[in-house]
Amino acid sequence: MFSFCNFEGLRRKWQRVLPRLLAVVLLQCFAPPRAITQTAPSEKPVPILSGTAGFLTYVNGGQTLLDTQVNPVILVPLGEKWLVESRGEFEGRFQHQPSGSFGGPVDKHLDYLQADYIANPYVTVTAGRFLTPFGIFNERLYPEWIRALQPDPLILPISTASSDGAMLRGGFPVSAAADVNYAAYVSVTSIGVNGVESERHVGGRAGIFLPGPRLEVGASWQKVLQDDRKNAFGVHMAWQPKAVPLSMHSEFARSNQGSGYWIEGAYRLSQLRVLAREMRHTELVVRQQQFFSGNISSDAAQSLGLPAANASETDFGVNYFLKDGLKVAGSYGRQLSSAGNFNQWTVGMVYRFLVPLGRGDSQ
Amino acid sequence: MKRIPIALFALALSLAPLAAPSSRKETSATTPAVSASDADTMRVKGEQRFRANCGRCHAAPQKFPPRAMATVLRHMRVRATLTDEDMRLVLFYMTQ
Repeated sequence: MFSFCNFEGLRRKWQRVLPRLLAVVLLQCFAPPRAITQTAPSEKPVPILSGTAGFLTYVNGGQTLLDTQVNPVILVPLGEKWLVESRGEFEGRFQHQPSGSFGGPVDKHLDYLQADYIANPYVTVTAGRFLTPFGIFNERLYPEWIRALQPDPLILPISTASSDGAMLRGGFPVSAAADVNYAAYVSVTSIGVNGVESERHVGGRAGIFLPGPRLEVGASWQKVLQDDRKNAFGVHMAWQPKAVPLSMHSEFARSNQGSGYWIEGAYRLSQLRVLAREMRHTELVVRQQQFFSGNISSDAAQSLGLPAANASETDFGVNYFLKDGLKVAGSYGRQLSSAGNFNQWTVGMVYRFLVPLGRGDSQ
Repeated sequence: MKRIPIALFALALSLAPLAAPSSRKETSATTPAVSASDADTMRVKGEQRFRANCGRCHAAPQKFPPRAMATVLRHMRVRATLTDEDMRLVLFYMTQ
């Protein structure tokens, strides 16, 4: 155990060493890599416009909502190591108005606009507005063409608002049987009227992926650097067994805003021999989730997109892939809550597009 | 004292290239230089990596033009924290 004097000595020592250490790290990040060739000459990347367009009808507790979304993604590679990427979101949410017609707001916002610098095979430096790496749904599963069920998980709003700042991230093998991935970030996000207020937070996520069993587990953390300096924690899992076309995902999150989990399985019917051609394009999904209210008011929770009270929900869904990037999605779920139980139906169509903004074939 | 964990994390990052096994970082997607058998091996490995990494989130997309696919892979390297080798092998698989 350190005495107070030793503790102070250690602190002074670290204060002397820290600048040198950071200098070494920065040199490591920006030094010429030893064995990196980003792409072959014939695969020089070209800017692309990609994204998702979706039209979905939600019926929540008898109320119909027509949801139209376009999420364009622009990717601009610069040289061998840079990538500028951005995603916008344009969403119309139309409901039946007293006048008899459908109407409602059209939201538009920037999900991310970031510059990525691939410093070496193990570190990528990101700056700008980026998706907060808390859990896996926000970063990896959010696009409509990827998600197996169209309704968001109940805990999605916990610590997943976009961040403005800088981030280090990457992945590297630690052995022949395991890869590690990580992300660490600092954010100063402007909020409020004209961005006068701001929220500062730091956080990170780390995961280990075992290619053999195709299992990934990881954890996330975020700390707000102001006011009551609250922490949020999360755990995630993804598993695709080799024997069956099943994809499992799960997240758990805990924060002062609330806590909860979701676990989801998506099973592709490709092993069925009856109507094999159709079954190969069909996916069945089930998700179980629970949310437990935190230390904020129900109004504050609802303003964040969280349930107003403790809730439990089970969803069943089916996806039919008409062709690559085009699918029909439908689901039914029932939410049980002290604020009221209701059914949730969803049906719609989602399309993923990709257009090279230049010559896409080899040169 | 709060800086110590940050410094340790940064140190771990900077030392990571030294700790990683060399056998997994020498593969290249430089198509002109590989022999037919090497190309077959890389294609098989690329498909395995694709199923293991990309398949964690989505089904296999169609093969896009090579230069577009190179951009997509660079994006996915950042988004899905793919390793350098995974990105190269998947890119090789998706463009051959």
